[in-house]
Amino acid sequence: MITLNNIEKVYQTSTIETLALNNINIDIKKGEFVSIMGPSGCGKSTLLNIMGLLDEPTKGEILIDQKHVEQYTDKALALLRNQKIGFIFQSFHLINDLSVLDNVEIPLLYRNSSAQSRRDAAREALEKVGLSNRMKHFPNQLSGGQKQRVAIARAIVGKPDIILADEPTGNLDSAMGNEILNILLQLNAEGCTIVMVTHDESMAKKTHRLIRLFDGTQVY
Amino acid sequence: MLQHLIKLIWNRKGSHLLLIIEIWASFMVLFGVMSLVTFNLDNYRESLGFEYEQVWAIDLSRNQDTVQTADKIAKVLQRIKSYPEVEKVSQMSSNSPFSFSQMNSSISRKKTSTLSDIYYADENFDEVFDIKMKSGRWYQSSDSVAKNKPVVINQKTADALFGTENPIGKTLDDNKIVVGVIDNFKAKGEFTKNEPAFFQLMWPRSEEGKIIIKLKSGTDANFEAKLVKDLGNMLVGWTVEVSYLTDQRQNQHNMALVPMIVFAIIAGFLLLNVAMGLFGILKVNIAKRREEIGVRRAMGATEADIQKQFVAEMWVIATFAVLIGLLFAVQFPILKVFDLASGVYWVAIVLAILIIYGLVTICAFYPSRQAAKIQPAIVLHES
Repeated sequence: MITLNNIEKVYQTSTIETLALNNINIDIKKGEFVSIMGPSGCGKSTLLNIMGLLDEPTKGEILIDQKHVEQYTDKALALLRNQKIGFIFQSFHLINDLSVLDNVEIPLLYRNSSAQSRRDAAREALEKVGLSNRMKHFPNQLSGGQKQRVAIARAIVGKPDIILADEPTGNLDSAMGNEILNILLQLNAEGCTIVMVTHDESMAKKTHRLIRLFDGTQVY
Repeated sequence: MLQHLIKLIWNRKGSHLLLIIEIWASFMVLFGVMSLVTFNLDNYRESLGFEYEQVWAIDLSRNQDTVQTADKIAKVLQRIKSYPEVEKVSQMSSNSPFSFSQMNSSISRKKTSTLSDIYYADENFDEVFDIKMKSGRWYQSSDSVAKNKPVVINQKTADALFGTENPIGKTLDDNKIVVGVIDNFKAKGEFTKNEPAFFQLMWPRSEEGKIIIKLKSGTDANFEAKLVKDLGNMLVGWTVEVSYLTDQRQNQHNMALVPMIVFAIIAGFLLLNVAMGLFGILKVNIAKRREEIGVRRAMGATEADIQKQFVAEMWVIATFAVLIGLLFAVQFPILKVFDLASGVYWVAIVLAILIIYGLVTICAFYPSRQAAKIQPAIVLHES
């Protein structure tokens, strides 16, 4: 599903060159739930951004469904992100001036879908994460756990094959964190491929496979 | 997408209120300026109805002289006609074309009346100004002995008094008879409206008014000096003043153009203010909304989608302002404020809308482009 070959990422300023990722080789199969762990600053988020086509590697190959995407245009990459990938972030990244329902609809705005079908899909996604009673609320009226569930609904509304979650439970207490993990496990059981960055060993153990990074290098 | 943007702007209406007011004020001023410009241009497109090149107006003031003034003027006319430089000579009332003098009166016929500019002129007036007759003829001095005094009217007067009837040979309420109809007669210049005009025969040997002369091409200011000197010698104690109609026309134009320029400058400052406000607000907006831009890019928005979104948001804000402005602006054509044709206001509304949207698009373009170039991975990591 996602294949990374010899990925290297270097951040360069006028004075400093920082090697964020070095020789990363990962193959994530369809239906897998993979977690990525490592200390802060080891390149986990950078790796997730590269997998999610939000960032370009300095070197190496990315294949999504066996197709090379390095030469894709901005439009083609955006289409791929929109159709294939759902993102969940640690700090939710909801738009405070939009209602829960409108936030969840966002990925569908970049598809040719009618207002009614967008609305229906957003309602369905919110029902799936148990927030059907909060559709008209605004993000600042929700708890952290509820916000993350909205973010999950937004990630799954377009029915993507892959979900990339960057520390989805990082800002939540353990009870809320477990709730979110259970939703992700449920989505994985329904066939969604999930890659999750986490600091929590116990959560990582519940996934199929663990990738550890240290100073930008894949440890195992 | 539009619905989504309207919702987003509406939910942020508090922070956009000042901008909406500013755009609304600019729209109203622009509407005023555009009404003025449209009105003047509309007038400008209509012909004057007469020729003024190489035409001079000679103003003779008797001052304290009361002795045989009619004879003196008759001699002056003879003298002027004798110059080889002079092609045609006419005598008319003081309200000569492009002068700042005006005479008007109500002309009526069978319970219909119209306020019309009145000109007293002799039989040569049409030749001096090269006025083309639309129907009928210009009056002659010999017509003065007729029972009904002859008059020439312009089409505007004919429309007001006769409607679709042919006015030639018909009499007015004061027994004057219409002998000719001319088309336009815009004595105050191209920028003025073509108002009803009415010409009647100047009494022969009249001591009043001005002498209008049409000169042969190539006649220069040397002749003016010679003319003033000669007339001064003939009319001792009188004041002789020669005015070029081309200069007088320019003065009339200035009267129309100055208010337009003043309003345009005010509108320009306001628009500049709005432009800077829009530019600044968008820059701040983009800085504040980097996270949102990152999220949208992650969710599948292309660079072009982000750019379009920010430009479209400005259009939505402008639309709110324009809609409020329209509530006021549409009253003008409906109520025919200032007695202007409603078409002038409609054109002004369309022009003001186009300028506002053009300005908003230009101001939104660069900041939106910057927003589109934001790297999602960086901004999502920052926040």
